[in-house]
Amino acid sequence: MWQLLNSDMEFLVESDFIYLPLLLDPEIEKEVQALLRPGRPTENPGHPVSKTIITHQDKHFVKALSIHSVLENYEVINAYDYKRRRKEFLRKYQLTREVEGILLDDTLKTILFQVMPYFIRKNRGLQRNKLTDEEILDLVGATIDIPAKYYKEAKTFRNVEHLKALLKGLENQKPIFKPPVNGLLSAHQLRDWFHEAVHAKILAHEHDRLTKALQIRLQFRQAKPEHAATLLYIADTGSMEIDGFGFTRKIAYKGEYYVYKRIGEYVLKDYSARGYLFPDCRVAVSTYTPYRPFVMEKYKHPFLLRHKSGQEICMKHFVPPNEFTAENAIRILEEGLTALRYGYDARRRNGYHTLERTWVYIPTIDFEDYRI
Amino acid sequence: MTFLQHIRNERAQQRKKKPLKRDVFNQICSLVREYDLKENFLSVLDNVEVDLSGDNLKFTRVRLKTSMENSLFSLATKDEYSLTMSIIGKVDNAYLKFANSPAEILLCGPLYCLNPSLTNQKLMRYHFETLFLHEYAKANREI
Repeated sequence: MWQLLNSDMEFLVESDFIYLPLLLDPEIEKEVQALLRPGRPTENPGHPVSKTIITHQDKHFVKALSIHSVLENYEVINAYDYKRRRKEFLRKYQLTREVEGILLDDTLKTILFQVMPYFIRKNRGLQRNKLTDEEILDLVGATIDIPAKYYKEAKTFRNVEHLKALLKGLENQKPIFKPPVNGLLSAHQLRDWFHEAVHAKILAHEHDRLTKALQIRLQFRQAKPEHAATLLYIADTGSMEIDGFGFTRKIAYKGEYYVYKRIGEYVLKDYSARGYLFPDCRVAVSTYTPYRPFVMEKYKHPFLLRHKSGQEICMKHFVPPNEFTAENAIRILEEGLTALRYGYDARRRNGYHTLERTWVYIPTIDFEDYRI
Repeated sequence: MTFLQHIRNERAQQRKKKPLKRDVFNQICSLVREYDLKENFLSVLDNVEVDLSGDNLKFTRVRLKTSMENSLFSLATKDEYSLTMSIIGKVDNAYLKFANSPAEILLCGPLYCLNPSLTNQKLMRYHFETLFLHEYAKANREI
């Protein structure tokens, strides 16, 4: 596509399609003659007339690309160029921070307000009442030392006037999308039009994003500044840990997280009732498939095949769920923790490995160093 | 042969690898594009027999066949296509598909006049000028 737009060719634009000059060989010429024969029935009766080959100024042009389709899918077709143009655009209007997008993220909301309360100590004493979202944010703010800069940012974040002005500015600048005029266009004319169209698309997209961002900020205005600071801190860092429960944002996948719970030290007993002290590790589940519990650290256990990091825990009757919900995440973590802590049966010696040395199989993983 | 066998044989034939045949359009179109030939080449082609008569022939000169990598199929713009078809129409003999340079296109007609039964191997291996000189010398000797 870009090779075409950077060439010195001439294109024909007709009813939202780009027509390219037709290249010939004897077979193609025969087909063209047949297509252009007068009195030939229409190609698709009942469909709107859209010719495959058009003759313009004694030259043949063949239907090639739908302008709307290319424009619509440009983000996928040429991701690199689209990102570059978008970055330029955002830099121009100082819109590079995308905290609103993260705050809008449902996955993070689920982890923070539905999964986390299950695993952390919420109340002191014998009180047992369900925490509201605000109380959870209070708890997080009290537990974690949030840097002062987030409080400052929260103040500016709550000030929506700047964003409103920016939005108005964008609205004034918003170019009206016009399809190119029908007829012959040189490559550079088409290229210029295409760049303008992509620009208009980015502008429209950003306008939508800013409108949503404005809505969020208006919501934030009613919240306490400390809550806003806490949320900004979480959105920015993407990770947090309270009472052994935590989550961390994946680097490779945008908007995906590992949710984990620390197991703490525990003892397993072998066939002869000798104790083995296992160190702490993080049992985690990803918000992106597969929804199976795994151990984040380099770890060895009878239910882990090797001694390395990121191993799935072997569980015989566990059926992973199909979607990530708070209930599923809690269940997966619970199952993983229970399997590691209570799943090993010294009598049956289940799992990949046994705790004591047996002379039946060649031992691959040894737990002698954990012996108490 | 039963009907089933017939179907099997037919399918076996369809599956069989078919060698790519030398195509005169592909060959000439590649030459037109590679050497950027224009319409004036046709007038040169018209005067080729005049150029070859008399002192222009140097018997001591032996030229090598130019090696050429053809594309599997050629697609030409309208101008290239019309020029290619005009060359094919003008020369119109079996040796044309073995021409590897514009000079060989020019010699195609005279060579065919001298000896229309040269083998494909010879045409592929030797430059048309060499073949022409050889045939020309043979014809003179016979006289």
